[in-house]
Amino acid sequence: MSGPIAGGTESGEAESDNTTELDQVPGLPGLYRQALALAARRRMGREDAPSYLPDVQHVVQGVTADRAELTRFQHLLRSAVRDQLPSAYLHTLAFPVAMSVLARPDFPLPLLGMVHLSNEVHQSRQVGASEHLEITARAEDLRAHPAGTQVDLVTEISVDGERVWTGRSVYLARGVRIASGTGTPDAPVRPAFSPPVPTGVWRLDAGTGRRYAAVSGDWNPIHLSRPTAKLLGMKGAIAHGMYLAARMVDRAVPAPSGAIDWRIDFHTPVPLPGTVTTSFRRSDEDGGRIDVVGWSTELRRPHFTGWVHPDRNDPDGPTTA
Amino acid sequence: MADQAHAQTTARSPRTAVVIGGNRIPFARSGGAYAYSSNQDMLIAALDGLVARFGLQGERIGEVAAGAVLKHSRDFNLTREAVLGSALSPETPAYDLQQACATGLETVVGLSNKIKLGQIDSGIAGGVDSASDAPIAVSEGLRRVLLDLSRAKTTQQKIRILGTLRPKDLSPNAPGTGEPRTGLSMGEHQAITTAAWQITREAQDELAYRSHHNLAAAYERGFFTDLMTPYRGLVKDANLRPDTSVEKLATLKPVFGKELETPATMTAGNSTPLTDGAAVVLLGSEEYATAHNLPMLANIVDAEAAAVDFVNGEEGLLMAPVHAMPRLLARNGLTFDDFDFFEIHEAFAGTVLGSLAAWEDEDYCKRVLGLDGALGSIDRSKLNVNGSSLAVGHPFAATGGRIVASLAKTLSEQGGRGLISVCAAGGQGVVAILEARN
Repeated sequence: MSGPIAGGTESGEAESDNTTELDQVPGLPGLYRQALALAARRRMGREDAPSYLPDVQHVVQGVTADRAELTRFQHLLRSAVRDQLPSAYLHTLAFPVAMSVLARPDFPLPLLGMVHLSNEVHQSRQVGASEHLEITARAEDLRAHPAGTQVDLVTEISVDGERVWTGRSVYLARGVRIASGTGTPDAPVRPAFSPPVPTGVWRLDAGTGRRYAAVSGDWNPIHLSRPTAKLLGMKGAIAHGMYLAARMVDRAVPAPSGAIDWRIDFHTPVPLPGTVTTSFRRSDEDGGRIDVVGWSTELRRPHFTGWVHPDRNDPDGPTTA
Repeated sequence: MADQAHAQTTARSPRTAVVIGGNRIPFARSGGAYAYSSNQDMLIAALDGLVARFGLQGERIGEVAAGAVLKHSRDFNLTREAVLGSALSPETPAYDLQQACATGLETVVGLSNKIKLGQIDSGIAGGVDSASDAPIAVSEGLRRVLLDLSRAKTTQQKIRILGTLRPKDLSPNAPGTGEPRTGLSMGEHQAITTAAWQITREAQDELAYRSHHNLAAAYERGFFTDLMTPYRGLVKDANLRPDTSVEKLATLKPVFGKELETPATMTAGNSTPLTDGAAVVLLGSEEYATAHNLPMLANIVDAEAAAVDFVNGEEGLLMAPVHAMPRLLARNGLTFDDFDFFEIHEAFAGTVLGSLAAWEDEDYCKRVLGLDGALGSIDRSKLNVNGSSLAVGHPFAATGGRIVASLAKTLSEQGGRGLISVCAAGGQGVVAILEARN
């Protein structure tokens, strides 16, 4: 699986200008292995990491959802088994294509160990389970962060040439300083967190990460168990950010019928097993928007904050550059 | 006569309850397209289509009533949970109802009564059932042990309680269609009735053939286009066999009644298969429909439930509608001749034919129903004109909603009056009258 992307000239890939067309969605385990090998070569000094982003986008045509996998995803999130794809599931389908950009030998940041800071999605209409999707992914805006270097991963999904879903994920490579010219910004002063009135609680058992890995294909070891997370320097397993996002979007708008926009910012990882206290509330400023907070009552710190806004009907959306 | 009766029936109600429209998902055979969909999934899918068809996004409906016959204990608030999972306003109240196969029709009756009384202006009635995703319970022995364990205080007590567990306690209990008080399955009960009324194999196969033929023709002319939303790749009822024939049906081996003295006549072809599906109906007052610019397909006139003593063999298990019918007709001053369409749920071909035979039998009608003579006969060309459960399939609680929506649409197209009859487990049955608007 790692061949087509790493090799660059093997079959399964057609390069034209700055677009690399993959013949299928790559497998995440292969991408992780490829990233591991690249990290090892760089550590041994056999390969230097470049200091700029590759000017390239990866494209996969004709992607369709597997109905059985979709059903398992919907059941795990306890959302209704519908013939339309949950907005977060579109992210799951596109995620390996985005990861394949990060796993390129000419990508400057180490894929493994990158921290997912936020996700913002604009979706213009609901997507049916049998529609054929074109998935495009590219990296943008390499820039300094108080704790390292951050980069945006932009993923677009189109049906018959019409863009229906755009996602922008921000990742941080902690401790990596390569973005030139901008200097290191100061860490922003975070206002003290005052928890809102809770509206619910998510009790996540130790198997949450393994079950989400099984339906999303994201077997990143930091989500699976304490021993595998410790191998990667974590104290214990943490929940997938996209699991929290998928649950947030489905709880806020269980039956989207048109456009849907949402954003999630990750603050403190959710340990597994763990308990997340949640607040879902209609925004005071904009009644169409649901504001969400997930936090730890024990630590008095937010795990994530976000919002979900159905039917906003803004064709370009906030994420389009 | 008909006009006079019409005046009588509508004059009684404080106000009129109308069928605005319906929606269902195609019915799948058990273990088929919906094998991994739960009751809640399918009920939401049926609601989704109704919401889309009538623009109900964010609408607060007066009340939603639905149910499932095979229901997991975790689905205690099934209908309310389905509402919360739908695009309806979360401020829409909902309740669950269960009356075996009459569930769907009874939700229509209950909500239409509330509309007539002015308690609500709109309602969504329906039902869902999955034979594929059926709840499986632990055995009674294991359940007892687990409950005792949860109350035990010392390790010694726990060990003693665990010691009472027997290997057979570990096998789970799957739900069956057996009657709790008789131990007979529904098919075995019907076989007794079928034999008692001397319903022939040929007559049953003929009815099954007509059901498939009528359903296929209804699809052919696009009758279901605005009554159905595809789901999980299914666009038509999976049980439909458009090319079946009386000859083909005649080759099937009998499955019920083999232990009786009389020849067994009931086959998989003239009995309904286990099915998965959901159906919902949008009801409202005339004022609600007008204010929301919605169609009015038919009026819900009246309904009657009945139950019979099948435990002591006084009557057949599925014969309760036979008893409900004369009471409903008398109260509304109507006879069979006043009706243009009859929807008699085909639990088994023998159920329909047994009911028709009973209503035509002068001696039975006098002796058992207390009438002056035979109730009357039903013109077969007016019976189940768009097919019924033998062809469509029968996800128990979904059948009532399917029938009400189909009949209301037929009445809106062709006018006249329609009669519904649904039999149910426990020796129960519900019958109802629908009437065209003009």
